[in-house]
Amino acid sequence: MKNKLYRVVFKRIASSALVLLLLVTFIFLLVRLSPGDPSQKFLSPQLNPQLAEKVTKSFGLDQPIYIQYYSFILNLFSGDFGISYNYRQPVFSVVKDYFFFTLVFSFISFILQLSFGYWFAKFSFYRRGKLIDRLLSKISIITFSLPSFVVGLILVYIFSVKLDLLPTSGIKSIYFDDLNFMGKMKDYFLHLILPMITLSFAGIAVFYKYLRDNLNTVANSPFITSLRANGFSEKKIFKNHLVPNAIQPLISIAGIEFGILLGGALLTEVIFSLPGMGRLTINAILNRDFPLIIACSFIAGLMMIISNLAADIIKIKMDKRFIKELIN
Amino acid sequence: MKKVKSYLLFISIISLIVSCNNERTVAPDRAVIAISADLETINPIYSFSVDEGVIDETLFLNLIQFEWNDETGDLDAKPMLALNWQWAPDSSSIVFNLRDDALWSDGKKLTSEDIVYSFDIYSDPIVQSRYYGSFKNLYKDYEEHIDLKKTFEIQSPYKLKINFISGSTPSLLDVAFPIIPKHIYEKLDRKSISTSEINFNPISNGAYKLKRWERNQMIVLEADKKSFLYNEEMIDEIIFKIVPDYNSRVTQLKKGEVDFCELIKPADTKDFTDLKNIEIKTIKGREYDYIGLSNIDIEKYAKNQNVYPNKLFGSAKVRRALLFAINRKEILSEYLDNYGELVVTPISSIFKSYYNKELEPIEFNPETARRLLSEDGWSDIDNNGVIEKDGVEFAFTLFIPSGNPLREFAAIVIANNLKAIGIEMKTQKLELGAFVENLYTKKMDAWMASLYIPVPLDLKTIWYSDLEKTPNNFASYQNAVSDHILNLLEKKTSIQEKRGLYLKLQKNIFQDNPVIFLYWIDDIIIHNSRLKNLTINPYGALQKIWEWKIQE
Repeated sequence: MKNKLYRVVFKRIASSALVLLLLVTFIFLLVRLSPGDPSQKFLSPQLNPQLAEKVTKSFGLDQPIYIQYYSFILNLFSGDFGISYNYRQPVFSVVKDYFFFTLVFSFISFILQLSFGYWFAKFSFYRRGKLIDRLLSKISIITFSLPSFVVGLILVYIFSVKLDLLPTSGIKSIYFDDLNFMGKMKDYFLHLILPMITLSFAGIAVFYKYLRDNLNTVANSPFITSLRANGFSEKKIFKNHLVPNAIQPLISIAGIEFGILLGGALLTEVIFSLPGMGRLTINAILNRDFPLIIACSFIAGLMMIISNLAADIIKIKMDKRFIKELIN
Repeated sequence: MKKVKSYLLFISIISLIVSCNNERTVAPDRAVIAISADLETINPIYSFSVDEGVIDETLFLNLIQFEWNDETGDLDAKPMLALNWQWAPDSSSIVFNLRDDALWSDGKKLTSEDIVYSFDIYSDPIVQSRYYGSFKNLYKDYEEHIDLKKTFEIQSPYKLKINFISGSTPSLLDVAFPIIPKHIYEKLDRKSISTSEINFNPISNGAYKLKRWERNQMIVLEADKKSFLYNEEMIDEIIFKIVPDYNSRVTQLKKGEVDFCELIKPADTKDFTDLKNIEIKTIKGREYDYIGLSNIDIEKYAKNQNVYPNKLFGSAKVRRALLFAINRKEILSEYLDNYGELVVTPISSIFKSYYNKELEPIEFNPETARRLLSEDGWSDIDNNGVIEKDGVEFAFTLFIPSGNPLREFAAIVIANNLKAIGIEMKTQKLELGAFVENLYTKKMDAWMASLYIPVPLDLKTIWYSDLEKTPNNFASYQNAVSDHILNLLEKKTSIQEKRGLYLKLQKNIFQDNPVIFLYWIDDIIIHNSRLKNLTINPYGALQKIWEWKIQE
């Protein structure tokens, strides 16, 4: 079993490396072929036209595209993604601060989505067919359909503007340095409440809806009826048979959802002024910062692959039959 | 029971955090300025954006300080790092006496060496400074690098002579650049200045120094007590808070979380008028929207760089007809709530010494537009509602950059106005990067954009005929008389001489109508009234921050 697991992981790593190489190659070509030019900010009535030429040359953008690609690949294999045109730093030193925030923020949001999704599904399942069950189902659809910027703005309006309970944006106050340790913790906590709710809102609805439907499907299976007939308690059936069977299809979705979260949550980051990967990526695109666009895409792709791999490993751990499916 | 316990534990932790003591130590005075995007650099060598410029001007002083003179509509030069200066009678050189109490934030004295070194760095092609190529009146080599020996004479640590190219027309603007510390930069390899640590931990010479820069969150400047500009009434900390979402900026302004915000939309000013702790100010006449019309045939120009008139917009009469056909006042009142005024020429009324008062704005008059088009040979022969001439229908696409509601609104009004005189106009939105590229590569016949007028005035970069040397002349406007005036303006220094030339230039541009000038758009600034002693004028909304005071 262990060998098989290693084989799956190795196979997945090899195919993932190829996927990542194709991804960065695709992005490399796409950004160069799309309109816009990194030196365009050096074009201005107030600046000397020669400056843009010199900058273009120093970026190597005056070279034919295959030469640019060749040096890009050479650097890539030595782990060098280049220098950000705008931040004037190696791209990974720019990315690391934003990624750390995104990692923590996404992880907490992911846990919230799973926990609340599970809790609501369980609550609803025990009241299946009743008004509250039907109501929760409808609310989950509405919640999922609401764009996060709408949720964010409504929350800000209620909790920040009208009730004046929570800060509107940022991850800490301007007087953060004047606070003692506990004050700083409180400051962080208060700043992250609204963004966390905004980011987790739709995810909770997704997890709730999937789990609730799966619970229903599994609950109608003959083996559950058989367990009931054999006198197993509802609590035991739910915990030991219903949830493990209902949660399996959800693991793949959770893997994808976590991967998306790690790629950045642009709208939430913009509304709440958070220093995350979403904002970094979009700014890199708008400024035509080619090395940074590629690095951000690489990180997003890598995170998606890792979270999917983790989801598959969890699925194997839960049901060993799944490994055959993966090997084949 | 286990579950109840874990719920209780969770609730207790949350309650503990929320209720915990967060008493602050003695808080310094702070002013918070909201900005929409993080800076890329605070190194004056590379700063490009307006916000970067503002912070740099606060951290890095110039030899002289320019101030807006409301009466003349021009700049006055005031001493800053230089105590005074003396021009040679023939203007071939200038001698600066420097302050001997100007210090770098690390405690070292600022001397003439720093000034020479700054010019050296800015003009070095390896460094790729934003000021590269800006030293037209100083001696340079073939790579535009300043010839230090010919240009500078260090007479003492606090006395410096600067020589100008003989026969040139220098002004104080030729030497107005932020000064950087030689003792820090000389240790760096010039090729790697752009990626060095100094870009994040600058040694500055201004009234404020950098305390902290938290990426995409805030930039905190603290008063430098060693600065000669320091006084006890200065605000302890100036915080530039990065709030990318416009609505969040407005909300924070209302809540008092930020004290100062620029570029407020006219419609939002109503929400502030009743608030007691708020002041609304405007800066007029620095930015206008226009419809750019290619005066030349862009397809033929792309093929062989030859200039032929544009089939639709090549005639000044047609361009004038379009101006008559567009109801600019409607856009101004409906969308901008009259926070602006109609553009007559590219010089606004704030430039009092140079503004041509005799030229009146063209009023909306579709009848005159029809007459002018008819005189130029345009008529609807096939009765399909669109006028034509020589078999070419008057139909075109107006390109606008995406994400600008004002221009989207204006495009609808303009399309309707033009339809009424038999012109078919479609609108196409382009992503800003693609739009800018199309402007520089002359791929559009018609577009809507804005132009920001520099202070002091410089119209040559936009309206000079040489299309190779003037890449910002997007409309490809060409007029020998205008060129002659623009060349003469470079050689004149007195307000009187320049005034006569600017009046003629405006008249010329007014007659030619190279583009459809729309409206000057006011920059609306809202700030908390606890901020006092602000200088807000056409030279900028954020200037001389060290003079700001807080009065609760």
